[in-house]
Amino acid sequence: MGRSLKTLAFHGVSLILIAVVLYPAVWMIASSFKPSSEIVGNAAIWSENFSFDNFIKAMDGIGGISTLQFFGNSLFLAVASVIGVVFSSTLTAYAFTRINFPGRKFFFTMMVMTLLLPFHVIIIPQYIVFQQVGLVDTYVPLLLGKFLGAEAFFVFLMVQFMRNLPKELDEAARIDGAGHIRIFCSIMLPLMKPSIITASIFAFIWSWNDFLGPLLYLNTPDKYPLPLALRLFVDQTQSSDYGAMIAMSVLALLPVLLFFLIFQRHIVEGVSTQGLKG
Amino acid sequence: MISRRNFITSIATGVAAAAMLSACGKSGGSAGGGTVENPTVLNYTWWGNDDRAERTNKAIALFNEKNPTIKVVGTFTDWAGYWQKRATEAAGGGLPDVMQWDLSYLRDYAKRNQLLDLSDVGVDLSTFDKTLLPSGRVNDKQYGVPTSTNAFAIYYDPAKLKEIGVAEPTGTWTYAEYKKFLTEAGEKGAGKYNGSTDFTGIWWQFNIWLRQNKIEAFTSDGKLGFTKDDLRKWWNLAADLRGTPAIISSDKVTQLLPKSPFGSNKTVSEATWDNFMAGYLADSGASELKMVPVPSDDPDNLGLFLKPSMLMVASAKTKNADAAAKFIDFMVNAPEVGEIFKTSRGVPASKTQRDGTTFDGVDAQVVAYEDSISKYLSDAPEPPIVGFGTLETEFLRIQEELNYGKVTVDQAVDQWFTSAEDVIKQNA
Repeated sequence: MGRSLKTLAFHGVSLILIAVVLYPAVWMIASSFKPSSEIVGNAAIWSENFSFDNFIKAMDGIGGISTLQFFGNSLFLAVASVIGVVFSSTLTAYAFTRINFPGRKFFFTMMVMTLLLPFHVIIIPQYIVFQQVGLVDTYVPLLLGKFLGAEAFFVFLMVQFMRNLPKELDEAARIDGAGHIRIFCSIMLPLMKPSIITASIFAFIWSWNDFLGPLLYLNTPDKYPLPLALRLFVDQTQSSDYGAMIAMSVLALLPVLLFFLIFQRHIVEGVSTQGLKG
Repeated sequence: MISRRNFITSIATGVAAAAMLSACGKSGGSAGGGTVENPTVLNYTWWGNDDRAERTNKAIALFNEKNPTIKVVGTFTDWAGYWQKRATEAAGGGLPDVMQWDLSYLRDYAKRNQLLDLSDVGVDLSTFDKTLLPSGRVNDKQYGVPTSTNAFAIYYDPAKLKEIGVAEPTGTWTYAEYKKFLTEAGEKGAGKYNGSTDFTGIWWQFNIWLRQNKIEAFTSDGKLGFTKDDLRKWWNLAADLRGTPAIISSDKVTQLLPKSPFGSNKTVSEATWDNFMAGYLADSGASELKMVPVPSDDPDNLGLFLKPSMLMVASAKTKNADAAAKFIDFMVNAPEVGEIFKTSRGVPASKTQRDGTTFDGVDAQVVAYEDSISKYLSDAPEPPIVGFGTLETEFLRIQEELNYGKVTVDQAVDQWFTSAEDVIKQNA
């Protein structure tokens, strides 16, 4: 008797917590169907004036540029980031863990130290460099670092994972005559699936949500990704269209949510099978 | 996790330092002679929403059509992002040729030699009211040209006044009469309406009151131009109204946020800039709102001035100063541009543009108000000092504490002066 009461209490508290945690998200989705005037200063979910107007307005785009274009730009940047990050960070991690080159420890320390460097310290020098070589208003400044293994967080993640993979595996491959490239492609990459998926999820979401990078480096509105476009609906100096902004936020959330739902299964899978095979 | 967006706020500081370092070099802008086949490219950037983007694109298209040797390329972002981007570009030496600008950033960028002096590059300034131009001037150089203006006004809702049986203000009144009006409205409003928000918390009304007493709020070297006594007198002006129905209480105001008490139909009047008209009408649902000039104890000196709601500036490093000037001239003086923007930027500042634009409805009312006060106008103050935003926020915050009864007027005055002197020292 006492035990079922305890379970009941536990579930009750959990449900309340879920409600509190999820309320902002639910409110956002509900608000996307409300007229602008009912959104601000109103915490209620239900509205009498249910309509799709906000979505229609959001899809209209801004200044003659369609919303699909913003979606396309965001998607391009996110996918390219994922490819860049996965490609460059696995390769860099392989070099750091499996190849004994001179200065390995030094370079590894240097790389980890860049993690400690706040972004706003490098922002101006970086801008000046890209401006001097004329790469402002292209996607190059946003993607270059990702293809060159400059994202220390991901390299570090891969290195930590790769260190746990038994060295015997590549030694066996070496005896069979495999070189570094073969070992990397046929042994390491398949084993690294869980960490590659983790890195992909982060790279995708960070790129999708990145506001400052595109803000600084992109000038022409038809190159803007979604976060920049979203802000254009809310202008403090003129009337703000909160309805359209929230509708677009909901739309912008969907790809990230989908991406996470699809790949989240693989993280769990990867972690659980790792123990069996190891 | 490493979140880059969290750094946004701290960037401004870093950028400011870097901007100072790199603002040393200044290159003279030579006229880039473009041809029809190979036009001079001019970058123009602005902040704003979809509506402004459409109007601006229309104006740019018109300009490109009339000036085939110049090609204006327009870009836009939102307000907050706009200034982050400008700060980085200024530090990196890559500001766009022509920019839409805000008064609060003018002095900062002018002081760092980032902006072009527009006095004699070919922008026609004779079409502007003489009193307006000082607002774009820093150290006697015309860095900014106003596109449009706002003027300060007291709004009231004639329908509500009729409902509670209070006579409408005539438009000429002293502070004693103004206070009597608020008291009467508060009493007859019987809990449903208050008179107004506490007008002594509004920096600009204080500024105008100082001007009525022939005091400038800031000296030309960026120090405070008034004394503690002046501020004490101002905050004491509403001492007998605080806590009475004449003035809406601060906690009610907070509850109503982000809407204003006047827009939420809780007060019968409000003191603010005339560009709020459309917003108030939409928020309150009132069929008509009216505006009258601020009260003054000196009927010949209302202290009123026109404030640029927006300016046009050019980068000091632009290689196409002539083309930039031509474009700015077009944007502020061409009647067709006025017709495109109507009052969405504010009331057009230049005479040619104002005369060349047809206004209707609310627009016409705002234009008529600015015309009606033209005889009272005196020179607009110079662009506000760096850090002015903080001073204005502090002014309202400390006045709210006063309203809550947490501090006395003397304490409030001391508090504000301490923080003001800090801000001025930091930004000197």
